[in-house]
Amino acid sequence: MKTIVVIPRCRNFGIIALSIFALFSIALGACQPSPKGPAISIEEAWGRPSPKVAAAGAFYMLIKNTGSEADKLVSAESPACGAVELHESYKTEEGAMGMRPVEGGYIEILPGGQAELKMGGLHIMCIEKLADFEVGAVLPLTLNFEKSGEIIIEIEIREP
Amino acid sequence: MLKNKRWTFIIGLLAGMGMAVVAVVTLPRLQPHTFYGTVLQSPDKAPDFELDTASGTVSLEDFRGKIVLLYFGYTFCPDICPATLAEISKAITSLGKKADEIQLMMISVDPGRDTPEMLRDYVTHFHPSFLGATGTEEEIAQVATMYGIFFEKHEGTEATGYLVDHTATVMVIDQEGHLKLVFPFGAPAQEIADDLAFLLK
Ligand SMILES: [Cu+2]
Repeated sequence: MKTIVVIPRCRNFGIIALSIFALFSIALGACQPSPKGPAISIEEAWGRPSPKVAAAGAFYMLIKNTGSEADKLVSAESPACGAVELHESYKTEEGAMGMRPVEGGYIEILPGGQAELKMGGLHIMCIEKLADFEVGAVLPLTLNFEKSGEIIIEIEIREP
Repeated sequence: MLKNKRWTFIIGLLAGMGMAVVAVVTLPRLQPHTFYGTVLQSPDKAPDFELDTASGTVSLEDFRGKIVLLYFGYTFCPDICPATLAEISKAITSLGKKADEIQLMMISVDPGRDTPEMLRDYVTHFHPSFLGATGTEEEIAQVATMYGIFFEKHEGTEATGYLVDHTATVMVIDQEGHLKLVFPFGAPAQEIADDLAFLLK
């Protein structure tokens, strides 16, 4: 007799919960903070509508890590952008505001922690917009994590 | 005797309560408006300037009688500038018809890349009344200095090209041309609207 053990990954919780989890509720234990590895989820991914003439746009989101290990967002890309960079806005000694690529080139999300990408702070910078950022548009964005690999999300273009 | 004291106490209590009610009702009206923005008390007029917009040259004096909001920014600015312009747009929209008496002007800190037309397309996205102005590098530097605005290019990446650090405050010039208020970066629309509403009274 063969026993098939399904150990669902937390990232797929939504889909799997409906089918398998309902039947084998015991398996729920598998989605408590997993014994090893990060568990990344993305919430509220959005971007501000911006005029065509603005060469750049910013994306914001909440990146959560419910796993037991830290992970790093190291890069991102989108067919809607000529280039994508991980940026942070900052205040200078003179009290001026500016932005720059994040220090070290990554955004780290600690186990049980989260990274909030929001206006005036961390943002994903879309340079050389190739699509219209109009209210209602949905743009694909691929996030590359050091451990979790590629996570493809959708950016909703809307007013904040 | 005892009865008398009790009456005195009750009358005193009632009188006290009455005064408290009067105070609560009238005090807020007597209190001056407390500005959210930083109030500037300058006897001099805000320095005048002439800059280019998509609809021709404008000077600050052209807007005497209106409240002018001055902001320095640039079109290759996806985070800080849109956040500010959107808040101002929300603030003045909330004032209804009075919005006609307010003029926002964004002055480019990137005259090398921003044209008057680009600035127009950029700012009108946030509110149709917004103006975008630019000039030569020297003119911009001069206006920025007059208003205590710091800006400086710094090297970006190959994709971004240079980026510009800049003071992101919003300056409010009243109907008579006096620099009246300064809002820091991140001032919420509601606070801006409250202060503007008071200045429009
Ligand atoms: Cu940026």
